[in-house]
Amino acid sequence: MKKKILILGGGQSALYAAREIRRNDEEASITILGEEKQLPYERPPLSKDYLLNKKNEEDLVFNNSKILDDKKIFYINTNIEKVDFNSKTLVSNNQKEYSYDILLIATGSENNKIKLDNNLEDEIHYLRNLEEAKIIKKKIENKNNIVIIGGGFIGLEIASSLSQLNKKVTLIEIGNQLMGRIIPKPIADLVKDTHEAAGNKIILNKQILQISKYNENYKILLSDNSELEADFIIAGIGSKPSVSLFENTDLKLDNGILTNEFCETSIKDVYAAGDVSNFYHPLYKQYIRLESYQHAQNHGICAGKNISGLKIEYTSIPWMWSDQFNLNLQLTGICENFDEIIERGKDIENGIIYFFLKDKSIKGACGLGVAGKVGRDIRITTKLAEKNVIVDKRILGDESQKLNKLISK
Amino acid sequence: MAEENWIEVGSTDSIEEEDLIRFDHGDKTFCVYRLTDGFYATDGYCTHEVVHLEDGLVMDDEIECPMHQGVFNIKSGEALSPPACEDLKTYPVKVDNDKIYIKID
Repeated sequence: MKKKILILGGGQSALYAAREIRRNDEEASITILGEEKQLPYERPPLSKDYLLNKKNEEDLVFNNSKILDDKKIFYINTNIEKVDFNSKTLVSNNQKEYSYDILLIATGSENNKIKLDNNLEDEIHYLRNLEEAKIIKKKIENKNNIVIIGGGFIGLEIASSLSQLNKKVTLIEIGNQLMGRIIPKPIADLVKDTHEAAGNKIILNKQILQISKYNENYKILLSDNSELEADFIIAGIGSKPSVSLFENTDLKLDNGILTNEFCETSIKDVYAAGDVSNFYHPLYKQYIRLESYQHAQNHGICAGKNISGLKIEYTSIPWMWSDQFNLNLQLTGICENFDEIIERGKDIENGIIYFFLKDKSIKGACGLGVAGKVGRDIRITTKLAEKNVIVDKRILGDESQKLNKLISK
Repeated sequence: MAEENWIEVGSTDSIEEEDLIRFDHGDKTFCVYRLTDGFYATDGYCTHEVVHLEDGLVMDDEIECPMHQGVFNIKSGEALSPPACEDLKTYPVKVDNDKIYIKID
């Protein structure tokens, strides 16, 4: 019997799941229901090469739209507003019904928004999708005093791009370091130095108390009662899983959709993948939720395999990157609960990496360097973390020795 | 093809097994690899973004870009893993008297 598979959400996880299902099942009908007009596209360039005019809209679409036609994967641009898991039906806002045998939920995540007690909330910009990036790109053309709220990856990447467009940029972060949720402080400090050297102003340890407007400009009141002026405001203050559709259903939620190691949810024939899923990771023996390019892709592929009837555990080691100015920052594994840190390298020209060890085995690493300089060693770290091997610390800390030799054949 | 298209890269012992070196010629840049069964050459820059593959990781017959982990088959140039989707150009390689040569078109 030809299976009817619906994928709710039109991002990277959805696309990779669809392709993987087709790889294993030539017969199944596969339909992606996406909220965006565009076919699935790459989000990382939105804050970088797209803003910098190095890539245009067409460059962002995954491979090209032909891949969907070739593989008979249908993409429908629609807004689903009701899910009935009993009758296995989704209903769109124009009352169209879509039924499924198997459903994959890949709705991703959505931006946390700044709450203000006036009517300026809609004037604060966020960058998650192409439409938002388009608006920002257009509107900043004649702006030159831009405030960015939030010192995470997205805020810093936008700050880097705007600086390269010769804009005056001030970034405000509530914490005592940049990227504080996951990046070690020494690396965060090097990133801060790079931004400041390029002319960006970084303000730490300050909260936004109020935003007001006079003429066409904004006044931003900070927690120490100082004031900033801006002609444009962008915020990147984290995100939350997109689960509002499921809040009054039987689907088990807890910081996203609870999913086992096979991408299965609490409801039979319903799977979840990507940012929206809080999944059980067998290597870490805990639930984790990740928001990254690599995870969206690999988790989608894993869901696709399991939907196709292959029983495959998701054991991928987390990996993520951020590109700012000419630097490439990479993080692999889990950089917490460590009992030892080893430093490799001295300068960002050749790359600096911090390795995090627990009980002598390597758990994760974070590196920063001029584009391309830390990737190989971070990749090797991922392989070492997968195998949980005890490593020779002298080799880790000695730049003159290649890490390849730590990977046993 | 004209004999002069074969360009000397260096001696065979300049590359460790399962490793690569960067080779620049004119305004072009290449990667020359030593795999278990011989020498191979590709363009130097990743097809995804302009970053040199010389800092990438060679695993079996594959080169992985150090920036975003796009993966290519070294022998065919095929893009195997996203974000890379455009194939990498490959070049013929020969070894003569312990010297490596690549043919650049």
